[in-house]
Amino acid sequence: MAKVTLGGIEIEIDEDGFIQEPDKWNKEVAEDLAKAEKAYPMGEDHWKLVNYLRDYYLKYEIAPPVRMLVKQTGLDLKKIYELFPGGPAKGACKIAGLPKPTGCV
Amino acid sequence: MKRKMKIEDFGRPARQLVTLEPSDLLPLPPPYDEPRPLKQLSEEQRERYEASLDGFVGIGITKPASAKEEEEFVRKFLSGLKKLLSKENNWTFLQPLVHSLDYCVKCQLCNDSCPAYVASGKQEIYRPTFRPEILRRIINKYLKKESGILRKLTASDIDLNFTLLARLAELAYRCSLCRRCAQVCPLGIDNALISREIRKLFSQEMGIAVRELHEQGTVQQLKVGSSTGITPKALANIIAFMEDDIEEKMGRRIEIPVDKEGADMLLLHNAGEFLAWPENPEAFAILLDAAGISWTLSSEIAGYDAVNYGIWYDDVQAARVAIHHAEAARRLKVKKICVGECGHSHKAMLVIADRILTGDLNIPRESALPLLADLVCNGKIKLDPKRNDFPVTLHDPCNMVRLMGIVEPQRKIVRAICPQFREMEPHGVENYCCGGGSGFAIMQSMNFPDWRNNVSARMKMKQILEAFGDVPDPAQKKYVCAPCSNCKGLLRDLIEYHGAWEKSGIFYGGLVELIVNAMTDLKKPFIEWEWH
Repeated sequence: MAKVTLGGIEIEIDEDGFIQEPDKWNKEVAEDLAKAEKAYPMGEDHWKLVNYLRDYYLKYEIAPPVRMLVKQTGLDLKKIYELFPGGPAKGACKIAGLPKPTGCV
Repeated sequence: MKRKMKIEDFGRPARQLVTLEPSDLLPLPPPYDEPRPLKQLSEEQRERYEASLDGFVGIGITKPASAKEEEEFVRKFLSGLKKLLSKENNWTFLQPLVHSLDYCVKCQLCNDSCPAYVASGKQEIYRPTFRPEILRRIINKYLKKESGILRKLTASDIDLNFTLLARLAELAYRCSLCRRCAQVCPLGIDNALISREIRKLFSQEMGIAVRELHEQGTVQQLKVGSSTGITPKALANIIAFMEDDIEEKMGRRIEIPVDKEGADMLLLHNAGEFLAWPENPEAFAILLDAAGISWTLSSEIAGYDAVNYGIWYDDVQAARVAIHHAEAARRLKVKKICVGECGHSHKAMLVIADRILTGDLNIPRESALPLLADLVCNGKIKLDPKRNDFPVTLHDPCNMVRLMGIVEPQRKIVRAICPQFREMEPHGVENYCCGGGSGFAIMQSMNFPDWRNNVSARMKMKQILEAFGDVPDPAQKKYVCAPCSNCKGLLRDLIEYHGAWEKSGIFYGGLVELIVNAMTDLKKPFIEWEWH
């Protein structure tokens, strides 16, 4: 674990760059994370996805199934990879400040 | 370059004992034959974690801060080792452990059966007999106090220190517990079991375990309900989504039964399915509905997640999880537990749990595969094999096939419904591990995935490419059927790493998806290739 400065605040991240303090997440933090994930600058679709993930996470304490994400945002998997080259889990979820996926997923 | 490596070297100080060179690895057929550089750790990570085995980190053991801490590390290990070899503290696995330690004649016949050893270009440290020999020497010198002269005469000396033990712990996570070595051994020596017992010693006695298996695995599962983090509330949301999805594909709604008391069977899915492959539990629901079977899911803690990572590293956690599974079934008053497409859960629930569950917790437990074969082969569902007219090969999950001998049910199914089915070689009980066994598929931190994709999964990649060797055109879509969530996770990452969808049109998925894809009353194809 290491501390880094994101969006002007100090946040702990894990070995793979996922933030460990989800409460500190904000738009500026997301933008700094997006820079490292080659998803910067963030346009409307980036935010649509990130906000969807964020809302789902706040409600259910977990990321949604990718299929649900695709269906409910209307962005297909190809488009998601264009927006977030790291993919939905390692890219978009990381930027949305979600913890790293665990279990057999 | 491969260096000659002796067991005596194992505890010697060195920045890195072994360096894997991409050009030493088992060659893959074109266009996958170009050696690729292996991901290196950052200097900061090397500083923080013990990585002096092969430059890869599975566990991430932090280095002791003082000589006193190092002494304490060695002392704890030896005290744990003593317990591992006593009946009172290791009633579960003492007998096969001692048998394997005492009776191995070091004929080395098992070496070439190990996919990681062979794929690595035969790196000495990955030999199936290498780690057991280290443990044996430690036992002889430090517990049995064998004389120094004898050790010298037999060239079997060893000196304990932190570095040696930390390397041994890492090395226990270079064996995927596939037990191919045990299968070829004329004496039945189980060197994979020794790997697992080493992991257990480190976890139970020293608090050292892989984060994905322990904190985020069994601990999270027992706390929130699933190693994926799915809570009962999230489960309800995902099930509603699955019901909508089924309605869209079938043109009618099926209710997925949850907590239905008195149902005939509790179906246990690996919860990874709900998140990553919801089409798998959807397909189960469609089939069980069509066959009129009385079943239910559970929404109890651990009752909706079949995984039991404990069997990979810790007896106590394994027992806790198994008891939770059985309790969920007892509360629902079901007649039996049926385990879905999850290999290690077959081992945990159907085999190991026999030593854990007693009295009314000892509920009958079955694999879903024979049930599915019955539905397909005895005309209980209307199927049209023409709907599956694309090349299909079958991956055999080690725990179902080699361990339990469930070989034919899945084959009867694919032979019946996949006109272009072809076996990979070798297959059945002689299969190769996907490379993700024993937790490897979910160990996603630092550079471990690179080791997995290049070493432990390399033999499987070669087998898959060879099985589809007659149809190289990427426009021809191909399906690797793997009836195990863990194997599927591995295959997804492996296919992505090698770009095998783009280069060869290779996709993967479970078994029930193929069955439902062949159902005549489905409005549109169930398998959606765009999820590659």
